[in-house]
Amino acid sequence: MLGRRSVTTALAAGMLVSGAAGAKTIDFWIRAYNAGLAEPLVKAYNASHTDQVKLNLVPNDQFVTKLGTAIAGGNPPDVIAIDLIYVPSFAAAGQMENLTAQAKKLPFFNQLSPSHVRLATYQNQVYAVPFSAEGSVLYYNKGLFRQAGLDPNKPPRTWTEVYNAAKKITALGNGVKGFYFSGACAGCNAFTFMPLIWASGGDVLSRDGQSATLNTKAVKDALGFYRRMWTEGLVPSGAQTDNGANFINAFTSGKIGMTGSGAFAISLLKSKFKNIDFGIAYLPGQTSGWSSFAGGDSIGIPKGSKNVKEAWDFIQWTLSPQVQTEILAKNDTIPVRADLAQNKYSKTEPRFVTTSTAMAKGRTPYSVHYNELFNDANGPWLSMFQRAVFKGEIDQAVTEAQSRFTQILSTPAPGAR
Amino acid sequence: MPPVRANTLNPPAARSRPRSRSWWRKQVGLLFVLPSVAFTAVFFLAPLVMTAWMSLHDWPLLGARHFTGLQNYAALLSDGNFWSSLGFTAKYTLVVTPVLFVLAFGLALLVKRSVRWVGLFRTAYFLPVVIGLATSSLLWVWLLNDQVGVFNAGLAAIGVIREPFQWLATTGSALTAIVVMVTWKMVGLTMLLLLIGMQAIPEEFYEAARVDGASPWEQLRFITLPLMRRTFALALVLSVIGSFLAFDPMYIMAGGGPQNSTITTVYWIFKAAFVQFRLGYAASLSVVLLVILIAVSVVQLYLLRDDTRY
Repeated sequence: MLGRRSVTTALAAGMLVSGAAGAKTIDFWIRAYNAGLAEPLVKAYNASHTDQVKLNLVPNDQFVTKLGTAIAGGNPPDVIAIDLIYVPSFAAAGQMENLTAQAKKLPFFNQLSPSHVRLATYQNQVYAVPFSAEGSVLYYNKGLFRQAGLDPNKPPRTWTEVYNAAKKITALGNGVKGFYFSGACAGCNAFTFMPLIWASGGDVLSRDGQSATLNTKAVKDALGFYRRMWTEGLVPSGAQTDNGANFINAFTSGKIGMTGSGAFAISLLKSKFKNIDFGIAYLPGQTSGWSSFAGGDSIGIPKGSKNVKEAWDFIQWTLSPQVQTEILAKNDTIPVRADLAQNKYSKTEPRFVTTSTAMAKGRTPYSVHYNELFNDANGPWLSMFQRAVFKGEIDQAVTEAQSRFTQILSTPAPGAR
Repeated sequence: MPPVRANTLNPPAARSRPRSRSWWRKQVGLLFVLPSVAFTAVFFLAPLVMTAWMSLHDWPLLGARHFTGLQNYAALLSDGNFWSSLGFTAKYTLVVTPVLFVLAFGLALLVKRSVRWVGLFRTAYFLPVVIGLATSSLLWVWLLNDQVGVFNAGLAAIGVIREPFQWLATTGSALTAIVVMVTWKMVGLTMLLLLIGMQAIPEEFYEAARVDGASPWEQLRFITLPLMRRTFALALVLSVIGSFLAFDPMYIMAGGGPQNSTITTVYWIFKAAFVQFRLGYAASLSVVLLVILIAVSVVQLYLLRDDTRY
């Protein structure tokens, strides 16, 4: 009797042990900025799967450094979600698992955000899939539009209309200004200023990302447009030194007529600044058209992961309709699949339709040197912007940036062989 | 293979004898210094050797590294950004050091005497030293802010300015703001060093001088200043090293701006490593900075040497 029981116990224990051994822990790194999205996602995965995801929120600025250190130390995470602009340089440095075969087998591969897929592709191989999407748009304060005698349902569609609206709103006085941008923030102006260039037929890099295309009329005109608003005092003077800390705070003060921002601000404004009646429009071109910076994160597997199969299962799950709708869309985030852009949550918030459309048709510069060119607070992109907008030396600024871009683009990608 | 050398220090014959008292004392002494030797080895020598080793490689943050010999050093010779950052660092050091010194010396003279409340003043002047440099930089960003900062509000209240002043928008005002912040933050430490030097001078010297009819100025000129040479040397070397390694205030307060005009050498090293992801190159810059700092310190110590015996 006793003997039989102990045998049963031993069997049960054995099963438990083998069950535990079968369950893998997937180490998942994401920048802290995305905590609000990643936490419910991981919770839902762990509740429904044997494999467990361990979430590691890495401070935004330290992500690349920490990842580099972990890879060098032979202990990389199994899954990473990174700013999509980094994927080309990570792939070039040979740091990502090639996911081409698995990704192309996904029945909805063609529905994935085109900008994400383009950035995740290096030398015709796919190294990541979209994780979260973000598109830049123009926010405008309907209340201030009304006060200034502008139609709150007719947001500006050209630069002249933006300028005229900004002028009327600034004329309200009492510290109210028509327009805002973070003048010392490289990333913010890639996100919200670059689309003005695209929408007017210009670009910053050639399609293959190999050469700079800054020395054009579209770029100079866009800089001239900001310069004019700056010199005429339609932008608060604090914009010049704002390194991004006030990127959205300026608008939430209720004293700014218009500003470029991303979909992320919708839920922030809705939950914390209920008094601000805001509308969302596209970032317009000089005389017609619009564009958007398609941003967000891509998800992939770093080289050296010990759980590649489990990692891919998790990644695949994040793209399922359940996750895209019930976790992303429900938490005010744009789904990364075009076939799920219209869902029960987007219907209740029409402003999301604008951001989703903006993102889906938006663009992203492709470069293995993205960080050095566009994100660096001392890099050529922001230097050009500041010199042109705040000093008025537009031609010199553009010429200088063109030559610094060319010099950086001529060097090999960091870590590439 | 190197030839095996005979162990001349401990010949086998000596080992068979019992250990002498002095031998044991030496071993105990060694034990006492062992922790600091280990500490220095692990936290200073090992990273130093590692840095030097890295500087001989093309060592990207991500991807494979390759031995490239002295290529990084050759590259830095023609790196205009590095040399201009060194120029800015030297300029910053030349500005901040005298300001810090004169002010600290004045404060040290003020709080030297044991009068009522002097402890309070000493503490007050020293207090900012205990805050981290990054923390105080961030604090000052908000103190200087055009919307909520106290400086602009204060200047507006007394009618000096009408519109809020953008402290960090021009090179001159940004550098001024950084120098003022660093002075506020560091003056207490220099004051403390100088105070200790001043208090080490025997009171009899001053008494004798007063008997001889020396004025306070003459006492300062002929007693205090010459006798504080060593203290000056210490405080100066510490201050110059600190200024040459400046990074946090420029990074946090000005972001290296406006127009990249406040990029110090350490800032440029940081950028090489974590913006361009060139760790090997950044290591070679660090080695060159170390050599420059050693040279600067040696020159200072030589100039302020004090061979007098009292």
